Amino acid sequence: MLRLLPLIFKNSLRSKRRSILTILSVTMSFTLLGVLFAMYNALYFEDPTPSQALRLITRNRISLTVILPASYKQKIKAVPGVQDLYISMWFGGTYKDQAQDQRNNFARFAVEPEDFFKVQKDLVLPEDQKQAFLKERTACLVGKRLADKLGIRLGERLVLKGDIFPGDKELMVRGIFEDPLADETLFFNIEYLYQSLPAGRRDFAGTFNILAKSKDDVSAIQRDVDEMFKNAPVQTRTETEAAFALSFVSFLGNVKVFLLVICGAVTFTILLVSANTMAMAVRERVREVGVMKTLGFTNGGILFLILGDAVVLSLVGAALGCLVASGLAAGVAANAGGFIAQFKNLSLTPPTVVFIFGFSVVVALISSFVPAMNAARTNILDTLKYSG
Amino acid sequence: MSEVVIQTKDLTRVYKRDQFEVTALKDASIEIRKGEFVALMGPSGSGKSTLLYLIAAMERPTSGTIDVLGQDLRALSDKQVAQWRNIHVGFVFQSFNLIPVLTAIENVELPLLLTNLNAKERREHATTALSLVGLGDRLTHLPKQLSGGQEQRVAIARALVTDPDLILADEPTGNLDSQSAQDVLTMLRTLNQEHGKTVVMVTHDPHAASFASKARYLEKGALLPEGHVPQDWFVRPA
Repeated sequence: MLRLLPLIFKNSLRSKRRSILTILSVTMSFTLLGVLFAMYNALYFEDPTPSQALRLITRNRISLTVILPASYKQKIKAVPGVQDLYISMWFGGTYKDQAQDQRNNFARFAVEPEDFFKVQKDLVLPEDQKQAFLKERTACLVGKRLADKLGIRLGERLVLKGDIFPGDKELMVRGIFEDPLADETLFFNIEYLYQSLPAGRRDFAGTFNILAKSKDDVSAIQRDVDEMFKNAPVQTRTETEAAFALSFVSFLGNVKVFLLVICGAVTFTILLVSANTMAMAVRERVREVGVMKTLGFTNGGILFLILGDAVVLSLVGAALGCLVASGLAAGVAANAGGFIAQFKNLSLTPPTVVFIFGFSVVVALISSFVPAMNAARTNILDTLKYSG
Repeated sequence: MSEVVIQTKDLTRVYKRDQFEVTALKDASIEIRKGEFVALMGPSGSGKSTLLYLIAAMERPTSGTIDVLGQDLRALSDKQVAQWRNIHVGFVFQSFNLIPVLTAIENVELPLLLTNLNAKERREHATTALSLVGLGDRLTHLPKQLSGGQEQRVAIARALVTDPDLILADEPTGNLDSQSAQDVLTMLRTLNQEHGKTVVMVTHDPHAASFASKARYLEKGALLPEGHVPQDWFVRPA
């Protein structure tokens, strides 16, 4: 059968314009499919880093936007398997003209500095900068990617206008850190936030970010923390950091279903385009099928030739689609990575590319099977009499 | 006396078209010996092409028996028939039927793709076949770059490249000018006389039939007895 490959390639280019248009249609579909698969892979299949696998996040059971009592911290610390934890609070606020310039719209968290470093072990920061952050109440840390993007330098003063919380926060940039999962985030001392609030309104936490002693402790901590507050006035929900990030994404809606529905629609489109092309291509070659059968080609051989034709077009489309999708994924990573950590390194992984190629073959076979089978089974004389 | 290579007995082919039945060939019994060049003649609709297609196993008979090269064709499966045809039969069509996207040599190589020959051997065989029909200098030409006569010669090269026992030709000169037709007929006669190929050619052209060693006539689906010529036919085989 391999010796028929040159014949398949020649047939694929029989009508150059049609082949190019088909390939472009398929390329567009696979581009979309590639980006969606990359997103799906990043959201649901990407393995957490070793330290991320040890981190959990406890939030209010009702919603991420509802706060928890800060006093829960000591109780959670006492749960077996918990090594350390820190309080974190989404600050929100406005930086410069972020409504006009989206680059200024980045994540800002108020955290407990001492415990923050104990839990966020992936974070890379020079010791002197770390010390400066620990000592100075108005200090802040800025992710390197964010600093590069906005041209922020050490010692620079940043002003965040409060919206959820009243008042402006004047922050001094004392550290620029590297962390693949939080490279576009700003952290500042939660004490600075507490002290700007009335005394009776300071006992709150947005989330508790927990570091487990070992992987084996993670599920037990998850269960025990939520069990502990089961009958409390404010109940908790504890999940791994990766799962928490997914729940953050779920604010957008049921992303899983959303992605799958679009993938399904794209697949259906490819099937229609490919089936239409193959139906045309087969109709054009009916007489030739008769000639080839006369020369001794079996029904199986004819089937292989026509299916091969569809597979070639689909594979070329898939290859181009993967290339374009890689570029788009890089674009998505650059723009969405600040808010959806999973998209920070969005790319078409080798398994995703292999999957797309495999998928393209399956789609080609399905779309061309009926016309190919009909051609293969047609009586020789009927094909030779065919005048198109 | 040479061996019989084609033998049919009471061969009948009935086509069903919707509720109608059309008998294209009725009770045809014929014997063709190795090395013969037989012209099957008759007016349009007489059943001559149907008989040719049955000999080439491109059709299955409705009834009767057909043995070609000692093989009962009715006993073969579709796959076996295809393989048998590839090995034993070279077929020449009226309208050449070359694959337009393939060059002359690629067209001739086509039946060899189903053999065990490697690429180099296939190329050599195809080159030889094309040289034999006088197209050794047109190997890389596409069909659209060839004249009708040249296309038919490529088709003949394709038919003989597997060195088949039988060459079957269906109105091979029907689409050609007189000079090209003369060349093609001469070529078929050469294949018959110098290379010992058994040739069966369908034609309604008495001049074409004159190149054959024997002519058999069909009329309204019936094969006329050997030597019997309808009144309105005056040709004698050369």
